Amino acid sequence: MANVIVNRVIDFLKNFPPFSFLSAELLAQVAQEVDLVYYEKGEFLFQKGEPAKSYFFVVKEGAIKLTDHIEEKEETVEICDEGDVFGVLALLGKRPYILDAIADEPSLIIAVPVGIFEKVLEENNKVSLYFASGFASGQVVVRSGLSQTQKVRALFGGKANHYGLMLFSGQTSIQYSHPVIHCHTGNNIAEAVEKMSRGKVGSIIIVDENKHPRGIITDKDLRNRLIAQNLPYDTPVEKIMSHPVVTAGKDLEFSQVYLNMVKHRLHHLVFTEDGSADSPLLGIISDHDILLSQGNSPAVLIKALQESHDIHELAKLRNQAEGMLKYFLENELAIDFIAGILTEINDTLIRQAIAMARARHEANFPEVRDMQFCFLALGSEGRGEQLLRTDLDNAIVYEDVSEELKEKAQDYMHLLARDVMDILFACGFLSCPAEMMANNPRWCQPLSQWKDYFSQWIREPDPQSLMMATIFFDFRAVSGKQALAEALTQHVYEAISQGKLFLNFFAKNALLNPPPLGFFRNFMVEKSGKHAEKFDIKLRAMMPLADAARVLILSHQVVGINNTFKRYEKLAELEPQQAALYRDAGKAYEIFMRIRALEGLSTDSSGRFIQPDSLSKLQRQLLKNAFFPIDEIQKILKVRFQLDYFGN
Amino acid sequence: MDWKALFGFASLPKPEFIKMYEKSLERKIPGSKPVSELGFLVLDTETTGLDTKRDHVLSYGAVQVNHNRIRVSTSRELYLRPKKRNREAIKVHGLVGERPFVSREQLIRSFLDDAQQKILVGHHVGFDLAMMERVGRSFGFRKVKNPALDTYDLAVRLDKGKFYDPRAVVSRDYSLDQLCDRFGIAADDRHTAAGDAFLTAQLLVKLLKIADKKGIRTYGDLMG
Repeated sequence: MANVIVNRVIDFLKNFPPFSFLSAELLAQVAQEVDLVYYEKGEFLFQKGEPAKSYFFVVKEGAIKLTDHIEEKEETVEICDEGDVFGVLALLGKRPYILDAIADEPSLIIAVPVGIFEKVLEENNKVSLYFASGFASGQVVVRSGLSQTQKVRALFGGKANHYGLMLFSGQTSIQYSHPVIHCHTGNNIAEAVEKMSRGKVGSIIIVDENKHPRGIITDKDLRNRLIAQNLPYDTPVEKIMSHPVVTAGKDLEFSQVYLNMVKHRLHHLVFTEDGSADSPLLGIISDHDILLSQGNSPAVLIKALQESHDIHELAKLRNQAEGMLKYFLENELAIDFIAGILTEINDTLIRQAIAMARARHEANFPEVRDMQFCFLALGSEGRGEQLLRTDLDNAIVYEDVSEELKEKAQDYMHLLARDVMDILFACGFLSCPAEMMANNPRWCQPLSQWKDYFSQWIREPDPQSLMMATIFFDFRAVSGKQALAEALTQHVYEAISQGKLFLNFFAKNALLNPPPLGFFRNFMVEKSGKHAEKFDIKLRAMMPLADAARVLILSHQVVGINNTFKRYEKLAELEPQQAALYRDAGKAYEIFMRIRALEGLSTDSSGRFIQPDSLSKLQRQLLKNAFFPIDEIQKILKVRFQLDYFGN
Repeated sequence: MDWKALFGFASLPKPEFIKMYEKSLERKIPGSKPVSELGFLVLDTETTGLDTKRDHVLSYGAVQVNHNRIRVSTSRELYLRPKKRNREAIKVHGLVGERPFVSREQLIRSFLDDAQQKILVGHHVGFDLAMMERVGRSFGFRKVKNPALDTYDLAVRLDKGKFYDPRAVVSRDYSLDQLCDRFGIAADDRHTAAGDAFLTAQLLVKLLKIADKKGIRTYGDLMG
């Protein structure tokens, strides 16, 4: 039976993973066998190269520093504090330690014998997953670990899946309806309708003799293209069917499929054997199927936004999106999916605002009303990763007009920009403190002026230019004439290839925010000011990764990928030798986005400043693990752009 | 003719565990042995009162420390059924409700088995040892002869040097509570024997580190 002393150990361990996953009985067995060891500041627990001891460690009080020696230089890899588990190499067989462990302050350490824990590892798969995914400190298995980490998060999240989103969460295959109601080319409408009616469905697929989908007829088509046109019922189906059909492969992720449908405003998506239209029909999914399963769906929201022309209505809908975001986050949906949906919602809102502004002003500008312009999203919105309604960064580029129309064009564009901004502010977005917004005349300019801006930033990469570049280089066309944005991109690459040194400066700039690894205890927190003692996740974790991704993707001359995590995905593809690191960096970025968004929602803020204490142990460890790729990525920049030899 | 035996005056033959214990005392710990290699048995008792002649042990808690490690697997927490339930003590210690009680023989046996070759440690350890002797008396146990280390004395010595004047010490500053507070030891289980033994063990490992810095490195240095 456990005595007071054992209970004391149990009471401590049970608060911390992996011990928190053990049954009371098993935990008591473990606690019974531990030793408590006291170390004075500066004492070594173990040293690099020493064979692994027969126990691993948990910090009970104090702090332990894990350090590495690289070329005679001591480098702190991690600081473990209360509840942190380290020295777990002992569990992985008798391999020598790869780091030094030194008491950073007087510390009481629990030494857990490996023997007892091996049994636990066998019996409890959560615990083995915990170790496998590199949650324990100083493991340096992080590279392959982050994707595993995400799995673990879902596992430990423990939130019951809500019915509404069962469709999404954890679903990897697609639940399309099959067998599909279909008829053949050459059938007539009466035959098709008879089948639809019997199958109680609102659509029918038309296939050819090979069962390849050729078109689709819906209730709406019957109404609009048959009855309204006064066509007879023996009209061949080909005559009124919609074609070609949009097809997808059966092995697509559900969320991907859904995102596709939302993006392309599809009502039906047809699945075929190999995903192409020239392949046998497998099934069909309709937006209706999805709507039925969830009242608060993005598709509904986007549709409502598209149909609304009232500023209050838009604001209300945009507020609703916030609730949906929370729902998505809590249900651990993939970040690229969440970001995709939110970006689409924001873009729709902007398009709607532009349409409203145009309707209001174009009558007063008959000479320039048809001129081309493009609304650009910048910064995080430009990267399509703005989850919360934080600062707006945007701009307008319009076509160059003749000298006499110049002023008119400018006035018209400014008015549009002003109105669009007002609508966005009303919808809860915040003004950019640096006024990098389209309603600032400086950022509402014709293409030629924009080209001059970019040329100047690239030609004279002083700190100011580089700061501008970090925001403006992520531009993305949201609405209007895409070609204007493409011309600008083209210009940027030409200018960069002429001013080669720019990328070196840009890379150096990306190193301005070192990774938060030198942190005391857990995180490098702000030293003073309003956010003292808080961790700035944007500055310390997200910006270094976003900046690095931008530089690297520019150096590869890749066009059209703005998402930081998608940029890393692309980089992994372009540089297979670094693929693992890039994938981890992308995963890390997603983790930061998620944590920041959750923090922002729960504190009704930008989520940028995080109180380390407010995070659960698991979240803190997750965050700490996610810091690792930052350092590695920055090393790549240093080497690739020779920044050590590159003066100021 | 053994007259004493004839008239029943002689004590019963000593139980084997007491003989074993006494035999273990023949082997002395060499003075040059490093402190880090010493074995300690840290103990505490809860009693019906402070009178070593009249009061009784209610419970006994202990844990071993060796190589500077507190060995949780050696922890003991034993409750003795009191002869007279002293209501006041029960109030102080909160020893109410059912406990897995052991006999006095089981208690003294556990203690003597663990104590072999150990330095006995406690906060005001002299009192606890006197009370343990009382538990063992009827089995023919007379005296605890292990070397004993009082964490009270050690704490004072580390502050004031080896030859301090006991009258100049404010004893309140060296109570277990005060010392735990000073050394950042979370004092949760006060007033249970095992809880106090655990706290004392944590105090011991910290004091030994300080002692080491002050040049107290061997058994001779520590006990001298």
